[in-house]
Amino acid sequence: MLSVSNTDYFDLELTVNGTPVRRRIPTHLRLLDFLREELGLTGTKEVCGEGECGACTVLLDGLTVDACLIFAVETHGMEITTIEGLSRNGNLTPLQQAFIDHHSVQCGFCIPGMILSGEQMLRDHEQLTREEIRQDLSGNICRCTGYQKIVDAIESVSRDRR
Amino acid sequence: MKKYSYIGTAQNRIDAAGKVTGETKFLADLPVREAVFAAPVYASVPYGRVLSVDLTKARKYTGYLDFISAEDIPGVNEVGVILQDQPLFARPVVRYVGDTIGLIIADTATAALNCARQVKIDCEPYRPVFTIEDSKQMTEGFLHDSNLACEHRVEKGDIARGFELADHIIEASFSTPAQEHYYLEPQGCIAVPEPGGKISIIASLQCPFYVQKAVGRVLGIPYAHVRVEQAPTGGAFGGKEDVPSEVCARAAVAARKIGKPVQLIYTRNDDIQLTSKRHPFTMQYKVGVTKAGKLVAAQILLEQNSGAYATLSSVVSYRASVQAMGPYVVPNVSILSRSYYTNLPPNGAFRGFGSPQATFGHERMMDIIARRLQMDPVELRLKNIIRENEETVTGQKISHGAGAAETLKRARDAAGWNSSGTSRLSSDRYVTALGVATCHYGNCLGAAGWSLDGSAVHLSLLRDGSITVAFGLVEMGQGALTAVAQMTAEALAVDIARITVLPTSTDQVPDSGPSVASRNIVMTGQAILNAAQKLRPILRTAAARLLDCEESEVSFAGDRASNTLTGAHIGFTELADFLYLNNYPMSTTGWWHVPSLKFDAAKGAGEAYFTYSYATHVAKVRVDKLTGLVKVEKFWAAHDVGRAVNPAGIEGQVEGGVTQGIGWALTEQLVFDEGRVISPNLSTYLLPTAADSAEVDTAILEFPEPEGPWGARGIGEPAIIPVAAAIANAVSRAVGKQFYQLPLTPESVLSALSSISG
Repeated sequence: MLSVSNTDYFDLELTVNGTPVRRRIPTHLRLLDFLREELGLTGTKEVCGEGECGACTVLLDGLTVDACLIFAVETHGMEITTIEGLSRNGNLTPLQQAFIDHHSVQCGFCIPGMILSGEQMLRDHEQLTREEIRQDLSGNICRCTGYQKIVDAIESVSRDRR
Repeated sequence: MKKYSYIGTAQNRIDAAGKVTGETKFLADLPVREAVFAAPVYASVPYGRVLSVDLTKARKYTGYLDFISAEDIPGVNEVGVILQDQPLFARPVVRYVGDTIGLIIADTATAALNCARQVKIDCEPYRPVFTIEDSKQMTEGFLHDSNLACEHRVEKGDIARGFELADHIIEASFSTPAQEHYYLEPQGCIAVPEPGGKISIIASLQCPFYVQKAVGRVLGIPYAHVRVEQAPTGGAFGGKEDVPSEVCARAAVAARKIGKPVQLIYTRNDDIQLTSKRHPFTMQYKVGVTKAGKLVAAQILLEQNSGAYATLSSVVSYRASVQAMGPYVVPNVSILSRSYYTNLPPNGAFRGFGSPQATFGHERMMDIIARRLQMDPVELRLKNIIRENEETVTGQKISHGAGAAETLKRARDAAGWNSSGTSRLSSDRYVTALGVATCHYGNCLGAAGWSLDGSAVHLSLLRDGSITVAFGLVEMGQGALTAVAQMTAEALAVDIARITVLPTSTDQVPDSGPSVASRNIVMTGQAILNAAQKLRPILRTAAARLLDCEESEVSFAGDRASNTLTGAHIGFTELADFLYLNNYPMSTTGWWHVPSLKFDAAKGAGEAYFTYSYATHVAKVRVDKLTGLVKVEKFWAAHDVGRAVNPAGIEGQVEGGVTQGIGWALTEQLVFDEGRVISPNLSTYLLPTAADSAEVDTAILEFPEPEGPWGARGIGEPAIIPVAAAIANAVSRAVGKQFYQLPLTPESVLSALSSISG
């Protein structure tokens, strides 16, 4: 986080998890801090803070971005989906359910980012091989699982919808 | 084999739903009312004497509230987990870059960090030492009373006579580097002052009772006035064994002084600079072997870089010393293990706890011996592997379940092991090979930590038939909550849906020791069985009354109590309500302590651990001879776990352990410049990604342990122990050159390829 004595403010308008949001925010606020501190959406995690680990992955107009690497003001007029926006009325997405069924979760700190990356992968590709999943997932670091059961989960959803 | 309802059945994790929706609140996600925020102020020189701390600039900063240091400690300024060598706030001597002098308190986390950067510390620098060799050669200005933190010996048979019996005597030296845990969630806690001078701590941690003790001593208050609760913890791997004691005790001193909740969460860079790592080892092996391939003598020197404080060095050194020759029978042995202080961050607990290092030594050695004898490496291992009624190097007779040989055979067969070892691919550029490594792992704390090796659970039946379980160890990602639920459902013969496992808190159960040493399943499982044994007569009496039969005629299975003669039965819900209405006790505490161990510490002889887990891994690597790049293509892992509680959880542990081992073997490099970490985050400290890790084929072998719950042993650490050795053995076989140190970077592989000697 930067420290600025003469803070500039900006009237940000965007859509977060389907809901329109208007906030006056400091221009130097990272998207990650906006989501966590201003909106209380703490499912988005900070791990490295330098765009290497993918724990703060969110979907910005449907594309994965690291929320630690962009300023909130850059998302003006756009649409953001966080992990909290995936399941509606207690219904998990097929990928969230697959993460449970395939034992893909251990400590869980990387999981929101993993799932959002997986969701985009599934949206972008009709079919996915394990090798493609591994390559595509390489922007998301997990220290517990060894990735195998995460790959299993994404592969199973890709296969089941064929 | 007896069929169980839950033991041995893959069970979905009970904590998964909250983690896939983002609902699980980790420490940084918790709202805290009225909190203030702390940031550490620490030494910027590796060794020296603090002359002054200048707060002038920090105090001018908006949001500055206070500076907390040694003078603010009401109790003792001491936080060492085993040796009393580590101050909570260093003053006046600082021994590593990161040695914490104080905490800045501010009204936001950002302000605290910014203020901390403005603190000017004036130090008189001393000459630092960073390597084991320099530490040994120091003649004055030692870090502590001397630079030797600890030493351990293992002596068996007659070492001189052993070498006389040998046809070949083979010597080699090895070294292994530090490893950063890089748990994804950094160290952190919230300390909340409570009325009457009491304090509550919520933290990301492995050992709540260690924190309770540290906070009690530092504040000078009874342990009973310190309540420690574990927050859902985003990975630990040993890194949250003793370090949270410092983190929490510092925040506690601040909370006590200021009278408000204090949140202290390390930034990633501070976390890596300030906290413990895996010990770097240097190892000298001299092994005597007969022509037929029987090991007859082993003389081993293990030296560890302890860093600035001892932390857990003495038990890492102990474990490494007794496991230094692996699961092999060697009649004549002389092992010496020593830890030396240096001006680096303290090295401490990391998954495996000295075992991955020692296993790199003994398993590289076995391959070097096999090559000398022109013998297949698996065959050499099978000739020497420990079997039932044979003795370890400490003279401990293995009376039950020595499944080591079976893990070797299973991994060998699964991998399609070929003695020739290598295959050249379509061009000369790539070559692939298999490498094997075997290990054993003493479960729980062993003779060196026996007094702490007891654990508890508290079971409560509620009137509606639901059940709570409190346990004294923790979930840190490994799947403890789910295993505890499975074991409780099995022990009480009830539906697992009835079970709620509570967050770990020091006010729920007696001191259960640390969540380390792969001891959770064994300790908590036995405590659950003990609690169930106490509840069962009560349930039986009540059920007999309800079923109108003799107590001996009641049986429990499938979530109900039945009259074995008539088949009449009542459900557990009805039984629980009856217990409540008729004044039967509905809760109990279960306790288990590991059996007594006879061990002579001076000779390193006797029962080092009460039981051992065994594992063999085979790695398939592809070496690019043009670039030196090593790619792990596949892993086969065979583990004797005694009895699998949650097979899916075991696979997860093994797959994760293999990947963490791949990182240590190939890419993870902590680089220091005058004691400062210059690889303090992921752009420079390279963890394996999904593209770097390998598919793991896990075989679970079950040779039941009589002292384990349902026969179970630990699995968490065995998962990583043989990994690096198997990879190094595979790379050595692939390119026909021997490798003696990690990591196997492209540079080191190319350098070996261009060297003349084999």
